[in-house]
Amino acid sequence: MSKFLLEAKNLRKTYTLGRVKVPVLRGASFTLAQGEWVAILGSSGSGKSTLLHLLGLLDECDADSGGVWFDGNPVADLKFSARNSYRNQSVGFVFQFYHLLPELSVLENALLPNMVNAGMGWASKRAQAQQHATELLDAFGLSHRLTHKPAELSGGERQRVAIARALANQPRVLLADEPTGNLDTKTGGEILDLIAAKHRKGLSIAMVTHDPAVAARADRVVKLVDGCVAG
Amino acid sequence: MNTRMRLQHSTISRVYPVQLANRYLTSRIIPLIAVAAVALCVALVVIVVSVMSGFLDMLRASGRTLMGDVVISYPIRGIPWYEQLIDTIEKLPEAQAATPLIDTYGLVRMPYPEGSEKEVVTANVWGIEPQSFNRVTDFSKALYWKPPITPEAAAAMLPDDPRLKLSQNILNDGLDLMKSATGEPGLVLGMHVSIANERMRDGSYRPRYQWFMPRQSVTLTLVPISAKGTIAEPRERVFPVVNEFKSGVYQIDKNRVMISLSEAQKLLRMDAGTLYDMQAPPNADGSLPVLGTSPAKVHKVLVRAKPGVTPDQLQAAVFSAYEKFAFDISQDPSKAVKAPRVESMTILTWEQHLRDLIAPVEKEREMMRILFSIVYLVCAGLVLSIFWAIVQEKTRDVGILRSVGSSRLGILWIFLQYGLVIGAIGGLFGVGLGWLVIHYINFIHETIGQDAPAWSYMASFCIALVSLAMCVRGAMTGVLLSTLLWLVLGITLAIVGAGLMLHRGTLIWDPSVYYFATIPDQVDWFTAISTWFGAVIFSVLGASIPAAKAADIHPVRALRYE
Ligand SMILES: Nc1ncnc2c1ncn2[C@@H]1O[C@H](COP(=O)(O)OP(=O)(O)OP(=O)(O)O)[C@@H](O)[C@H]1O
Ligand SMILES: [Mg+2]
Repeated sequence: MSKFLLEAKNLRKTYTLGRVKVPVLRGASFTLAQGEWVAILGSSGSGKSTLLHLLGLLDECDADSGGVWFDGNPVADLKFSARNSYRNQSVGFVFQFYHLLPELSVLENALLPNMVNAGMGWASKRAQAQQHATELLDAFGLSHRLTHKPAELSGGERQRVAIARALANQPRVLLADEPTGNLDTKTGGEILDLIAAKHRKGLSIAMVTHDPAVAARADRVVKLVDGCVAG
Repeated sequence: MNTRMRLQHSTISRVYPVQLANRYLTSRIIPLIAVAAVALCVALVVIVVSVMSGFLDMLRASGRTLMGDVVISYPIRGIPWYEQLIDTIEKLPEAQAATPLIDTYGLVRMPYPEGSEKEVVTANVWGIEPQSFNRVTDFSKALYWKPPITPEAAAAMLPDDPRLKLSQNILNDGLDLMKSATGEPGLVLGMHVSIANERMRDGSYRPRYQWFMPRQSVTLTLVPISAKGTIAEPRERVFPVVNEFKSGVYQIDKNRVMISLSEAQKLLRMDAGTLYDMQAPPNADGSLPVLGTSPAKVHKVLVRAKPGVTPDQLQAAVFSAYEKFAFDISQDPSKAVKAPRVESMTILTWEQHLRDLIAPVEKEREMMRILFSIVYLVCAGLVLSIFWAIVQEKTRDVGILRSVGSSRLGILWIFLQYGLVIGAIGGLFGVGLGWLVIHYINFIHETIGQDAPAWSYMASFCIALVSLAMCVRGAMTGVLLSTLLWLVLGITLAIVGAGLMLHRGTLIWDPSVYYFATIPDQVDWFTAISTWFGAVIFSVLGASIPAAKAADIHPVRALRYE
């Protein structure tokens, strides 16, 4: 049993653009303990998002070498369906640009992971999932917005919906890629407060940022320099 | 409280692919265009195939009601001893009834116009024995001039329909081929032989001026053919017209007249007579010795099958019945005239008999089927390209869905379902549209057949003007899209208006080409339903390619996609 909830060892990733090879990660290692909040700092283009995507299994093509372990198990071994349920259950992802579905309401967006997971048994789980989502949105101050479409919300409100969505299936890890990068300091601070509250209840967080002030709220800060993580 | 109420109204009751497909469908215009396109394709198929099938059905039905199921013919010379042949045939378990028929050509001098120069038409003359002919064909149904049978039938007629004032006598006269008032043998004309019968929109007829045929007489001239095959002196006779008949097949209604068999036989010298021995020396009183009787002859014998017996079965039975008949005659010393051998007879089912009529139509329908497979491909291609565009636009959404853990199958299902719904709804609309057009096809056809009314092009010019005004307004306020749309609408309407103004009535369905005076107006439901299924299948097929493309999208690539 590994002592880390999420661990990446010696990740290498090179993108090929035509004939040019762009090495992004050159043996990056990363650890996240249970209940820990780690901020990943780095300049633009240093590969922070790439690292986070590999941790969240968002890239169908894995790293060129190295691997990711979740709760001590190598995720590289996971089959298609297990990868889907990893994204659905084990981790929650928050993006800089919210990425909500424009045709769905706030509540539906927040329920998306439940719906995706539910399959045919949705009817039975629906009441409970709805209860949970409404409570979350309530806590995020969005109770009067449930039936609105994302286009009718402000940036801060959208990001709160995105966080509610990431937490819908009560994952153990939140992977956040510059969640406040697109927001003003005050709104960003409110978003961080929400995340911090969840963190206090035991949520483990890996958060990419290039804002040292944001990074300061984390338990630990790592830096991504030249494709390697510096402690 | 408020929240809970809203929750109950929210529509989170289905699985996400259903819900998303639903949202994608209802939140944009492109799917509507796809639905409309599918509907048009389906309607096209339903309309064309229904007309073709209806046409074939009418052809078959009329062929059968006019000819019975099997026809034995021996043209020109005729079949002798046909009464015995009919007896033999009617004893067959397969046969319901049989009737003799004279089938020849002649000239009919019509009563019109006024003056001494009357119009003369060539006609296909049938000599029939009305009672048995009515048992083999539906002659009584084909007779047109008769009073309505039921009050409902009377109510369905226009108030000025002359049939409302007719008595039962006219039908009986037609059925007996005799003018009962005078006892003269009568003649029945095909409905379109006389140019005085004008067809109304509801399919009924009005005699023009005083030319109500059953009150007129015509002169019929027939040309007998001698035993040597030469033309003998033509014979003519005046017949009172007793009724007119309508088979529905234009070619027949335009050309055929009917008289009684005995009259036809007399005119053609095909009636019974004494057969003299020309070679032998004359008798003491100077007359030639009698060889026997020369029997009356007919050109054809029509046979109707018992219910449940196919024309082919009947044909085989009739064939052997004729063999037996010919043998019996050949063995009978009292009959000097022998029946032709079975090899020289033509024994055909009505379908074979009407081959020339039916075969081209069947070929046309085959060709239509091939064309329709192209229509399906168009349908599929259309759905494909529209969905391709939608998937392109929804790449980011797919990335989001994948990032929250949806499976590739789930994504595939969203778009397949989308295709399913578009195919199903479009198909439904198409069948509806097809039904509407088919139902009113004769009305539409006749409307096209007339010059466009003035209000129609005036209206479209007016709306075109308004659209152009809106276009100018749009240009002044600087909204490009609406300016353009109004401009397109205005120009289109102006062109439509000009088209309507220049439109001169043309009848597309020319009865002299298509045999029937009306276009079939029944939807072929088998085709409608199978076309609907085809539309669904091809829409799903069309959707499957973009759907597969969507399912292949990598979550990260999609999310990085700007
Ligand atoms: N799909 C791809 N194909 C080619 N190159 C890519 C791809 N994705 C990322 N890259 C390259 O990899 C490098 C790292 O990208 P990444 O998004 O991880 O940087 P980042 O640290 O998140 O930057 P930022 O702070 O601007 O978000 C960049 O140079 C980028 O151009
Ligand atoms: Mg980034």
